[in-house]
Amino acid sequence: MPALSNRLIAAWAWLAGLGGLAALIAAGVGQGVPRRAAGAAILVLAVLKARVILARYLDLDRARAWLSGFGWAVTLWAALVLGLYLV
Amino acid sequence: MSDAASGSALDDLPGELLMWVLIVSELLVFGAGLVAFMAVRLTDPAGFAAAQDHLFRAGAALNTMVLVSSGFLAAQALRWREAGARGAARWALVAAAALGVVFLIIKGAEYAAKSADGIGWDTHAFFTFYYLLTGFHAAHVVAGVVLLMLVAWRDAVANIQAVAMFWHMVDLVWVLLYPVIYLLA
Repeated sequence: MPALSNRLIAAWAWLAGLGGLAALIAAGVGQGVPRRAAGAAILVLAVLKARVILARYLDLDRARAWLSGFGWAVTLWAALVLGLYLV
Repeated sequence: MSDAASGSALDDLPGELLMWVLIVSELLVFGAGLVAFMAVRLTDPAGFAAAQDHLFRAGAALNTMVLVSSGFLAAQALRWREAGARGAARWALVAAAALGVVFLIIKGAEYAAKSADGIGWDTHAFFTFYYLLTGFHAAHVVAGVVLLMLVAWRDAVANIQAVAMFWHMVDLVWVLLYPVIYLLA
């Protein structure tokens, strides 16, 4: 088998780790983790996961201006969702 | 702005421009759907929380792992095909498609459990959005599995790149949909 891409392996590891962390935070809401802080953390982790997919899987780290634009769009969307969650 | 100047920014995008148009369109549709979900939630937060407790969060977390692993295989397949390793690329595409099927099996089990509990799309507004958004996403997974198998057969680099981009879009939508529907308590 040809060699695996270290950059893709790192991206997969980040996605797995961030996804696991989000699930752990959500599971902790009934056990002492503040609901509102957990919601904010979960959405921040979602933005980070989206950024990893955009940068590494979709190769936007070769087009930094586009990566920044997509990153801002996802961040603004998450801020809107968080605002609706915290109302 | 001259045509050359406007073209140069778009030329920076990897892959086909039309695939990026599709990706942006899908993100807008799902993004708007999830914002609408959160807005309707304001009318009955207790009802939405009670409905969300019926979801199988562990299954959705597992499906996140399945989908990001499948995305890894699709991205790796493109790298291998570009390097001339056609056989490895084909197997990676078949494995990516197989993981897509695993995602659908877990999703199907989730839907079956809801049905067994007497929960349908009209049980509560939460489930209307739940079935609409996760069902539309699952339809994209079905399309992606078919396309991955197709390019495992017709394995030109451009074909694999276009389908891998579609598959990463499905992945991207899921990492935004999953926390809003399943995790925001």
